Amino acid sequence: MRKNKIFSRKTLAVPYAVFLILFVVIPLFLIVAYAFTDENGMLTLSNFSTFFSGGHNINTLMFSIFIGMLNTAICLLLGYPAAFFLAKKGMGFGKATVLLFVMPMWINFVLRTAATRDLLFWMGISGGEHPYLATMIGMVYNYLPFVILPLYTTMTKMDISLIEASYDLGANKVQTFFKTILPMTMPGVVSASTMVFMPTMSSYVISDVMGERKISLIGNSIQLYFDQGLWHIGSLVALIMLVIIAFGSLCTDSAPEEEVRGGLW
Amino acid sequence: MKRFNALLLCMMLLFLYTPSAFAEEEVLRVYNWQDYINEGKDDDGAKIADSVMELWEKDYERRTGKKVRVQYDTFETNETMLNTLRTGKTSYDLVCPSDYIIQKMLLATKEGTDDAISVEKFDISKMENYTKYVSPYISDLFQKNDWTDYAVAYMWGTVGFLYNPETIKYEDVSTWDLFWNTDYKNRVTCKDVSRDAYVVGSLYVQREKLREANRKYENGEIKAEELQKTVNAVANDTTDKTIENVGTALSEMKKNIYGFEVDSGKTDIVSGKIDANLAWSGDAVYAMDLAEDEDDKLLAFKIPDEGSTIWFDGWVMPKGANTELAQDFVDFLCRPEIAVMNMDYIGYTSAIAGDEIFELVKENYEDEDGKYEYDLSYFFEGTLSEKHYTNGKAIIKTNALGRQLTTQYPSLDEVARCGIMEDFGDKNQAVLEMWTQVKSNNISAFSYFMMAFLALMAAAMITNKIRKKLKKRRRRR
Repeated sequence: MRKNKIFSRKTLAVPYAVFLILFVVIPLFLIVAYAFTDENGMLTLSNFSTFFSGGHNINTLMFSIFIGMLNTAICLLLGYPAAFFLAKKGMGFGKATVLLFVMPMWINFVLRTAATRDLLFWMGISGGEHPYLATMIGMVYNYLPFVILPLYTTMTKMDISLIEASYDLGANKVQTFFKTILPMTMPGVVSASTMVFMPTMSSYVISDVMGERKISLIGNSIQLYFDQGLWHIGSLVALIMLVIIAFGSLCTDSAPEEEVRGGLW
Repeated sequence: MKRFNALLLCMMLLFLYTPSAFAEEEVLRVYNWQDYINEGKDDDGAKIADSVMELWEKDYERRTGKKVRVQYDTFETNETMLNTLRTGKTSYDLVCPSDYIIQKMLLATKEGTDDAISVEKFDISKMENYTKYVSPYISDLFQKNDWTDYAVAYMWGTVGFLYNPETIKYEDVSTWDLFWNTDYKNRVTCKDVSRDAYVVGSLYVQREKLREANRKYENGEIKAEELQKTVNAVANDTTDKTIENVGTALSEMKKNIYGFEVDSGKTDIVSGKIDANLAWSGDAVYAMDLAEDEDDKLLAFKIPDEGSTIWFDGWVMPKGANTELAQDFVDFLCRPEIAVMNMDYIGYTSAIAGDEIFELVKENYEDEDGKYEYDLSYFFEGTLSEKHYTNGKAIIKTNALGRQLTTQYPSLDEVARCGIMEDFGDKNQAVLEMWTQVKSNNISAFSYFMMAFLALMAAAMITNKIRKKLKKRRRRR
């Protein structure tokens, strides 16, 4: 066995560990360091006061969270039934149909967004006149595949006999859905939500292109600060985002699968 | 294991030896805007001719017998460029920032405050082509501002409205009010650049003052210089009160305009999404050409009557640059035939005058039966050979005022009411805060609601968790 030491688990993990330290851990510390220092490298909390004293920054933050939640909700409402029917056997939907739903993900993101902008203009919903609506449509369009895919995967693994059992025990369709199907697919819903909520909040390309730059999300603020060379306050905003994301993932982690299945309601 | 080591050794040796292959040739490191020099490529990006850099390499070798190589990098915004200089990872011999950044760098140099963005002096006496061919207008401008020793002008232009004359009236586009004009709601775009937007706002807020100065100038009560001074003062006014007023005005504007853009404006106006946008003159020329070629559409450019700004980009040499090589390269760019190549390629207006440039302008835009005799003496004076002067003036006949010719070369009157953007200095942060406020959404009632909602959610989550834990403990008992 000694010969194979090079290929042991530990050594194989080294490249990724190096990558992790270089590109994740160190930059993270840099962000924290920048957020709490000023231009001369002195420790300070002035970045905080600058950020929170302008009411517009808090507004942008709240607005971003709202857009993130709204987008997650719409994507789930649209994606859930779609994934359900795709996963249902005997409906005649093959793998090809699933591909059709996921295909937009394969097209370059910037190109896709630019095309959506032109399409909406042609439909009369231009970002200039309806910046909020256009941005939401762009968001939903871009993130819908990220919802359908994880939901589809959990639904194909779903045990159909449990649904039959539910009917046998006298539950009607609505009851069956809420008591059986939804709890069984909850892991998919949770992972779909995390895949949509965080990226939506921090994205700035979609709001820029679709909203004709009239809408500012927190990602736009970060970009603006860094563009102007104001790294310290930019880092602070990035740190605030990080805290929100960390809080979000803590919440989703606290719902282990079994518990969810047993007693969601 | 041994073999692995040997491989490593080989690779290390390879890395060690590569640089020495280039050791004998000198390297000039140039940092320029994207698409801002003739790279010898066609529309599809395929290489069809020597780039200006390659031409210089050959020319330099022919003159001196020494080999030289240009390492050419590009940036997208002035701020990116400054950041790169500040990090100090790569050093450059030559960079091409805009007016206000040049000003900032010069200030840092003269006061010795910021070494990372300090610059070297040019030895103008060694730059034959520059001294011979630079437009008298540009060199005056540089002299007045005390830039001559530190920067060499490259391209210049104005800021104004690019518009579709079929849908927008000339009177309406002749004033900055257009942005606030509800007749054109959702038909106009503005630049998403804090500085450009700020200047527009300031010119709009103080429009009465500017109109008064213009009236006086037209009546001959004040000279061009005084008018220019007034516009300059207004454009660069960063008192707290003006910042506040501009913020209010721009927030109003945001409701009326179609949107902000950086690059999409020129294609959107060609495709008809919008009817006017705030444009740099070079982009305007590009869009006019595009509209003519693709859609048979005639677009026009207008500098509002209240006044506007002139911008220029110039070469500076950061501290520690190879000044000899850098100066030689810049002087090469100042040869009229090379300037023509660049102008033709990128569509902006070179700061260089001279026969070749004048002939290019004539060839492109002169109309033999032109009604108007467009006088460009202020720009070309003293650089042309005798045959190009008509009655001592550099004149181009044209019928198309407001189109490419007048966009590339504004008239003396238009130039008189253009100021130059300056670095906002300490006020930069205040202007930026104002700008983020304009760009973000001020719905504070909604914000409070959202905060309350989030707090409720967090509270619910925490109580739920505690409840579950208690339940578990009870069960265990």
